[in-house]
Amino acid sequence: MDFKSDGFMYALGAAVVLFVIAQSVFFLVRAWRRGRELGLSAESLKKTVTSSALFTVAPAFAILATVLTLSGALGIVLPWIRLTVIGAINYEVPAAEAAIEAFGSAGGMSQEVTDPTVFATVAWVMTLGSILPLILVPFMLKKIQKGMSKAVEKNGKWADVMSAAAFIGLISAFIGRAIAGKGNAEIVGDGAGVMSIAALLSSMLFMFILQKIADKFELKWLQSFAMPFSMILAMLVVMLLAQILPQNIAVFEWRG
Amino acid sequence: MKNRSYANSVHFYGILWDIAALLMFLMLPVAICMHLGVWPAGSYVFKGLLPVAMLFYPSAIIEVITYTPLLGAGGTYLSFVTGNITNLKLPCGLNAMENAGVRANSEAGEVISTVAIATSSIVTTIVIAVGVVVFSPVLPYLTDENSVFAPAFQQVVPALFGALGISYFMKHWKIGIVPIAAIVIVLLFKGTLATGVLIPIGVVVSMLAAHLMFKKGWLDK
Repeated sequence: MDFKSDGFMYALGAAVVLFVIAQSVFFLVRAWRRGRELGLSAESLKKTVTSSALFTVAPAFAILATVLTLSGALGIVLPWIRLTVIGAINYEVPAAEAAIEAFGSAGGMSQEVTDPTVFATVAWVMTLGSILPLILVPFMLKKIQKGMSKAVEKNGKWADVMSAAAFIGLISAFIGRAIAGKGNAEIVGDGAGVMSIAALLSSMLFMFILQKIADKFELKWLQSFAMPFSMILAMLVVMLLAQILPQNIAVFEWRG
Repeated sequence: MKNRSYANSVHFYGILWDIAALLMFLMLPVAICMHLGVWPAGSYVFKGLLPVAMLFYPSAIIEVITYTPLLGAGGTYLSFVTGNITNLKLPCGLNAMENAGVRANSEAGEVISTVAIATSSIVTTIVIAVGVVVFSPVLPYLTDENSVFAPAFQQVVPALFGALGISYFMKHWKIGIVPIAAIVIVLLFKGTLATGVLIPIGVVVSMLAAHLMFKKGWLDK
């Protein structure tokens, strides 16, 4: 049996999954109770849960795809653990590459790791490189929030504008990248191109239409599902375009 | 009084869970080493860690500063354990607050964002775990470069932020113009910049522009 995916590794994975679920349930239950005390209806809390769950499905599958991409070199369990906690592809790949390269093997992630020492080093680097936020959060969170609540007290309307502006700034980074970003040349679909614009515009359009319908006919349920529906519909459009358009147009990325 | 005690208890339990998570994460490589009976020399780990740390430690600091005000306290403690913040937890929390019609900096906002992020963490964890165990034999075909689903998976991020973006722009289109233009201009000069760099740029530019517009009274309706 391959040491990268033996029973022991699966047991580690299961332990991590249990930890994450326990923590989430703990905070979920407490927030729910507090929400009821604050006068939020059980119905609106339930709707938050269902729409968040639905919202999560497509990105979760994308993360699962990442796990599989990494599993070629590292076996399935370590990427599974890493992407269940903290992990994100833009971190895990460079971390694993750097660790493998420390041993002087140029192939990096393109080859399967067969040396237990290299594998253990990868696990160390992935872990040590990613835990800093967990050390920072306990020290910084309260201070940041204090600063925030002071600003809110002083000038409520300004604080609302600033908080919307912060969200919009974040969203702009991703929209800008879909319009003009240069991707990794080896990954098809990573850079800005026909497909990223198609996804961006069609999801905007679906969202716009669904929200208008929801407002017009006062469909409360549709409001919660407008976002996940738009996303999934946009992804269907992309799949469809990839089938219909001539190959060279479909994968065209203007920045390379 | 009750009000304060909820916020304080979130911090108290949040820090406990944070420390527990930290210990668990550190135990993982220790357990792997014990199980495999190998202990890589510190110099190799250091050599591997150095380039990663140089890139990701500064961005970790920026992440904590940028995201915590958006995630709320409960959401922050959860998100930094489970990760995938920009592509999942944050948009999920924003969407939920938007739907519930609560303000991000109110206590109701804190509650809704915590509920949304906790749900999202549970669903992600289950999808990945079930996927790994059940679908691992077939999934390579689904995500294979030539499968019909592959183009869709590659565009999850634009699809997500398109839908999220339009719901914000419908309300605050004036605020949106400057940061999008700024990001596009930055990318024209250096197209390969990662989103980890673009996000702080977008957030700072957007807040500066919004602040000026607010002072000039351009945002009054």
